[in-house]
Amino acid sequence: MALNTRALGNVSVLDLQGRFDAHIAPAVIEWYGRLPTAQVVVNLAGVTFMDSSALAALTGGMKRCRQRGGDMRLYALQQPVQVIFELTRMYRAFEIFATEAEAVASFTR
Amino acid sequence: MRIAMVTPYPPSQGSLNEYAFHFIRFLRQKPEVSEIFILSDRLPDAATYPADTVAQPGLAPLHIVPCWRFGALDNALRIARTARALAPDMVLFNIQFASFGSSKPAAALGLLAPAMVRAAGLPAIVLLHNIMETVDLKSAGFGANPLVERLIRAFGAITTRVLLSADLLAVTIPRYVEILEHKYGATNVLLAPHGAFDEAPPPSFEPPPGPLQIMTFGKFGTYKKIEPLVAAFRLLLETRHDLELVIAGTDSPNAPGYLEGVRLANADLAGIRFTGYVAEEDVPRIFQDAGVVVFPYTSTTGSSGVLHQAGNYGRAVVLPRMGDLAELIAEEGYTGEFFEPDNPQSLAEALARLLDDPAQRRAMGTQNYLAACGLPMAEVVEWYILHAQNVLKIRNARRVARSRELVKR
Repeated sequence: MALNTRALGNVSVLDLQGRFDAHIAPAVIEWYGRLPTAQVVVNLAGVTFMDSSALAALTGGMKRCRQRGGDMRLYALQQPVQVIFELTRMYRAFEIFATEAEAVASFTR
Repeated sequence: MRIAMVTPYPPSQGSLNEYAFHFIRFLRQKPEVSEIFILSDRLPDAATYPADTVAQPGLAPLHIVPCWRFGALDNALRIARTARALAPDMVLFNIQFASFGSSKPAAALGLLAPAMVRAAGLPAIVLLHNIMETVDLKSAGFGANPLVERLIRAFGAITTRVLLSADLLAVTIPRYVEILEHKYGATNVLLAPHGAFDEAPPPSFEPPPGPLQIMTFGKFGTYKKIEPLVAAFRLLLETRHDLELVIAGTDSPNAPGYLEGVRLANADLAGIRFTGYVAEEDVPRIFQDAGVVVFPYTSTTGSSGVLHQAGNYGRAVVLPRMGDLAELIAEEGYTGEFFEPDNPQSLAEALARLLDDPAQRRAMGTQNYLAACGLPMAEVVEWYILHAQNVLKIRNARRVARSRELVKR
């Protein structure tokens, strides 16, 4: 699993690749703790597997962002990840976009 | 958010009481929750629940409102009336098919409660721990006659449709979601993992010195039958004497007197101990003292809370080779030794494989501990809050749209 971070103006972007599971979830949670901004975009284009711990890491991150007046947006969910979001109906809790541009632009709506 | 939860709650011994205890423990800690009402069953022998708790820093106040009785026919009505009077923002149901009674009419009529609560104008989310389609009715003590079984299944399907009239229906196994979506065309079903009760520090994977304990935990007599386990224990005693069999728990509400019957039938057997009801504070010790935890199930009716507890305490487990449990193990990262259901010889062999191999017990306990750590109950509760907020958002949006429509007219 690869985890890269970058900044796009006021938005922090997290790029994830590979299996997003209980082994990587703590690193993602730790990353939230160090964030200078409450506006976060998570790129799931390269994620091939996601378990409930990973989903919990995302919901925890979203909550943290909202508590600080921001939000978390997701984009480019691949089919196996989409299935998890549908099974858990978490697609209702997150704002999900097809592209990074749409996800970032949503913060200025 | 003011939340009411319809559920048995300790000291009630109704099924899912322990799940409710842990769920509420974490629900109270959530800042979004301002007040909790537990709509629980009345206790027998005029026993009472602990007094309400007022708000404490970081904990929502908790009120226990006993308003229904296991086995009564009017539970749905009583629950709906009570919920309406309390007017919470959300009503959660922590139930399974036999939550409201052991007789078919009482069980079925009780399950009308979520629909009646919704009819009273309150939003409802049901956490359904089993579904009719996966219950082996014969083994669960219902439907000895095929015609009766078919009739029960038909009523089960009707009841499921009624339950699906809740705003959301949560189940703990992905396959249940698929079944409900395909068979009933449901669009309001979701997966909410069972969750781990305790965020305990890594346990000791070694049992204490003394006889090695084979332990089983639960409410026995319907689909949890201990006769094969006792028979397997007798087989093991033929070759080793350093063992103790611990039967921890009580009769299922559907099988009063079951454990006493087994105890009397095995009065000659040394090394067997019946603990009776295990109070919450004694649960850790019961699991920590066990060398192996056994699931003597003849059928499964849902995700097993006991398996998650065994995982929490890093215990090796022995399970029947059947439906839900095998699936749960595969999907949630647990591991165990398997035996053929209702087969004492097979169970004794599975137990012997673990009893003779401490390294394997440790490895299995470690893996189960890691699996149980996967998703703590605190996170599961967080998911329910998110879903509840969404339901309320949608309801509010509809209400606003209706008001605008009326103004336009």
